[in-house]
Amino acid sequence: MNLLIELIRSTFLAAVPILLASLGGTYTYYADIFNIAMEGMMLIGAFTAVLGSFFSGSWVIGILSGIAGGLFTALIFTVFAVYLKTDEFVTGIALNLFALGGTTYFLRQIFSVKGAFTSSKIIPLPDWNIPIIENIPVLGELLSGYPFLVYITFLIAVLVEIHIFKTKFGLRLRATGEDDAAVDSVGIKSDIIKSKAILLSGFYCGLAGVFLSLGYVNLFAENMSNGRGWISLAVIILTRGRPLGLLFMALLFGFFDGLGLALQNTFIPSQFTQMVPYLATLAALFFYSREKKKSKGESKNESMAV
Amino acid sequence: MADPIISIKSLLKIYPPSTVAVDGVDLVINSGQIHAVIGENGAGKSTLMKVIYGLTAKTDGEIYINNKKTHFSNPQEAVNAGIGMVHQEFMLIPNYTVYENVILGTEPVGRFNILKKEQSRKKVRQLIEEYNLNLQLDSIINNISVAAQQKVEILKLLYRDVNVLILDEPTAVLTPQEIEDLFMRLKKLRDEGRTIIFISHKLDEVLDLSDIITVMRKGKKITTLENKNLSKADLARAMIGRDVVFTVKKDKASPKDVVFSVSNLKYKNEQGIKLLDNISLEVRAGEIVGVAGIEGNGQYELVRSIIGLLTPDSGEIKINDKRIDKLNILDRRKEMAYVPQDRKNTGSAQELSLVDNSIMTHHRINKNLSGARDYILSRRGARDLTDKLINKFEVISESKSQPIKSLSGGNQQRLIVGREFMLSDNFILLDNPTRGLDVGSIEFIQLEIIKKRDQGAAVLLISADLDELFGLSDRLLVIHEGKIIADKDPTKTNKEEIGAYMLGAEAGDYR
Amino acid sequence: MKRQILTSAVGIITALLVGLIIMAVQGYPAFDSYYQLFNYSLFSKFSFFSTLAKTAPLILTGLSAAVAFGSNAVNLGQVGQFLIGGISVTAAGLYIDLPPVVMIPLLIFIALLSGALYSGIAAWLRLKFNMDEFITTLMLNFVAQYFTMYLISGPLLDKELFSPMTRPINKSGWLPDLGGLDSTIIISIILLIIIYFIWHHTKAGYEWKVMGSNEMFAKAGGANIDKNYLKIMLISGALAGMAGAMLVMGGVQHRFLKGIGANYGWDGVMIAVVADSSIIGTAFYSFFFAMIQTGAMGMELETSVPSEFVLILQSITVLFVVASRKSAHLLLNRINILLRMKNIKSGGGIKEDEFID
Repeated sequence: MNLLIELIRSTFLAAVPILLASLGGTYTYYADIFNIAMEGMMLIGAFTAVLGSFFSGSWVIGILSGIAGGLFTALIFTVFAVYLKTDEFVTGIALNLFALGGTTYFLRQIFSVKGAFTSSKIIPLPDWNIPIIENIPVLGELLSGYPFLVYITFLIAVLVEIHIFKTKFGLRLRATGEDDAAVDSVGIKSDIIKSKAILLSGFYCGLAGVFLSLGYVNLFAENMSNGRGWISLAVIILTRGRPLGLLFMALLFGFFDGLGLALQNTFIPSQFTQMVPYLATLAALFFYSREKKKSKGESKNESMAV
Repeated sequence: MADPIISIKSLLKIYPPSTVAVDGVDLVINSGQIHAVIGENGAGKSTLMKVIYGLTAKTDGEIYINNKKTHFSNPQEAVNAGIGMVHQEFMLIPNYTVYENVILGTEPVGRFNILKKEQSRKKVRQLIEEYNLNLQLDSIINNISVAAQQKVEILKLLYRDVNVLILDEPTAVLTPQEIEDLFMRLKKLRDEGRTIIFISHKLDEVLDLSDIITVMRKGKKITTLENKNLSKADLARAMIGRDVVFTVKKDKASPKDVVFSVSNLKYKNEQGIKLLDNISLEVRAGEIVGVAGIEGNGQYELVRSIIGLLTPDSGEIKINDKRIDKLNILDRRKEMAYVPQDRKNTGSAQELSLVDNSIMTHHRINKNLSGARDYILSRRGARDLTDKLINKFEVISESKSQPIKSLSGGNQQRLIVGREFMLSDNFILLDNPTRGLDVGSIEFIQLEIIKKRDQGAAVLLISADLDELFGLSDRLLVIHEGKIIADKDPTKTNKEEIGAYMLGAEAGDYR
Repeated sequence: MKRQILTSAVGIITALLVGLIIMAVQGYPAFDSYYQLFNYSLFSKFSFFSTLAKTAPLILTGLSAAVAFGSNAVNLGQVGQFLIGGISVTAAGLYIDLPPVVMIPLLIFIALLSGALYSGIAAWLRLKFNMDEFITTLMLNFVAQYFTMYLISGPLLDKELFSPMTRPINKSGWLPDLGGLDSTIIISIILLIIIYFIWHHTKAGYEWKVMGSNEMFAKAGGANIDKNYLKIMLISGALAGMAGAMLVMGGVQHRFLKGIGANYGWDGVMIAVVADSSIIGTAFYSFFFAMIQTGAMGMELETSVPSEFVLILQSITVLFVVASRKSAHLLLNRINILLRMKNIKSGGGIKEDEFID
């Protein structure tokens, strides 16, 4: 029983960063921007969140600076990809490595450590206990006492759904992704829509980074995003960018992540349990592609569908 | 007398790197008239309109709207000033509904910017009824006909209540019947007091519709005339700068054995729609068989099935009695030349050099392109072939190593047609081979096609251009909803009859 | 070609300037740091040879990415293929011992083969199940990372040491040292020449180049896309696998240790990107990256700028070179237009065949 509760709790916790990042990536998905910089946005967000929290002693500043880190990365992406017309793939690759190099460098430069930085001065996100529910046995353990961002994230998923499918911005965003020339022709500046989409993705990926370094754990480690940005991208492709689908998929990956953790104390070597989320991504892609392949016609897919 | 609503002074537009598209044009458009701007492809008509509409920035010159010097930096400003444009390539979001496309850019919203649909839906519906457009608000653009899509474009402008409508080659995609329908609608709009700028290169239509005609050639305005006592020949001379033959000359065909045949070809797409519905056809040596049809009636799938890019559900395709429908693309290409409809996506690699674009397919077939071993590509062989193509097909270029995208459309197409025509004398598959080209290149390519026929090639010509089909074909088929529904001798029919078939008339319905 | 050199130069100089500012802002002696960067990578025989030793694997991972990207195959699995190549050679080198004339070619073959097989998985998943290689190669990177980690901390662990690593491979598999010059660079140059030849002088290479520019055109022209794609992926993986093997067969360690060649995979991707998938450009940027990486240690020693600084320098170099490629184009266009306008206004004519609509 306890093991099951642990598994469910770790599922929620592991799902949150993927959900946040993929919600952000949904905006760029609909704007037809190949955003592989999510990994880097998340990593920089995680780093600046620790930076903010450590120096200010406030998790609020931690959140804000984490978001700022994500936005900063997104801004670079926007300048190069949208305004200098640099290839999105290239920009994304360079930004990811910039994030990896930059955080490693400043980790050493500012905190004089290599590998990981941990300190009691890093103030984590506070946990929320839900009144009444927290006192119910089992249910309280399942639903109460998470870092508050967990609860907010599920709310955000609903808001993103509304934003993309019910508002003026959403209509324009999806139109831009389908045909930006047509959007320009009715007097909407598609470049601005694209920039907003990238910045929104930076905002949410930054927030995902915040959760990684101030919620999931309470430290910063080199390359701590560890492929989560890419898994998020895969999740978006698999659900074709439906926010509620993302919610489901993120929980599924959270579950596999949690499962990996739970299996660690068994006879299976930890290296194999750590592979689980990546293998799960491959498996999900397998089923998705098989479904897609049933649609006949051309033998080649339109790769890079993001 | 009408007032000038738009006037343009010494307008100049240069495209990068240094292509002059509009060269110092002065033009006055009066309100309440249908003003045609004619010229052949590349004359600068579209560019001129895009500049007026704020879609492209001008390089130099002045624009006055209602006698006020104005400069639109984006289309929204033009629309706000009451000017709207229907582009040659429709600017519609393919997966959006008619309604969504109409409101995009002027969306009515309530709290939190959430879309508020009711009132605007009512307004759109009213407009559809008022102008008898026969559209459904919630149809997806992808699923409606090209003619209906054009109506959506016009509806977009009516919804924005524009005063001036610019239409860029609106008839290119329509059947004669649909054109008539469009013209009635445009005249009604003019009679309401709106101004219409109508861009075309089809002289009959211009003479039929417009009040004023401006002729452009090579970026310059040649003349502006009132549409009174004008003849087609006068306009053509002004447009092209010399007397023109309206149809290429050809002798009567003398067809021989069947070279190419398709029998019972069937193909259904994912949604279960029959895109090829039991198609059978034959092409004999020494004849050109034309295929007419509204776009999207199976031509694309037919071509792709023949070339091997699509696997049909059933049916046979034969060349010289040999089945080719199970062969891979390369083996099919050994038997046929193929000129695709989109030279940018299928006909060439735009970034690569003329050499790289000239040797495709030849590199696997032509022995001169092999080096010391069969897998080695002979660079000299490649250069020689390119030189030969450039000379024989009169491709104007600076060097063989320049990227093909730096050539004009006509020259690109000459290179592509040349490459293909040097591949096979047997069967030639042409999919809109002259679309969007200048008159010189069209003439050149059409003459080459006839030359090939006279040398005994079997030619299958798919085209959206009825003039071209009537000019070249020895037999004319009509495809409708994946079926061949007519097989006519072009000398014994006319455009109206073919148009009726294109719209789906049964044999005998016509008249 | 000229334009490529020019834009590369502009991009590199801009990136170095930005790096200069970043260092100066933090109070480091920026000019001296750059001097040390070059001093420790070029100005002595030892440092130049060290740079070449670093260049060797970078050429291969760079080529691996360049061949793939240049033909429209999005192989981002250099990291994984590198590790698999390295671990396969290590395993073979631990358990097989033959005379060097046989041993070295055998290990090279194993390296190429194992890298190719690993990228072959992604290629197979794409061809058979239509799974996008861009995601599969990325995920397989992580699988390879954890798998090799398992091997070196379990079955292949050198039990006398505290950190996860294998024993050194048998001496017969060590690549010779040529008077201080690591012979890996020779292998890299040979492979570079072979790839150059394939790319520019064979029919297959021609088809790959066309696929990289417009796959539809290649397909309609009769090129067998699937077969070409498979070949490209296998070659790409083989090159990355060989790079991994070099780190074991060459150098001084001769064993597979945790975090081996951590950045070579992604550096290769960046090199291909910044070189725009050109073979010669890949060689040049491999050397450039190797140079600043080698010099970084000296820079840290002399002016105490953390050596991780070069990671930043590399990524901004990529961004600025690629961006200057684009903006040089736009700038030249603008100049052209202004010249034309002057010409027209002063009464100059327009040539035939210059019209587009």
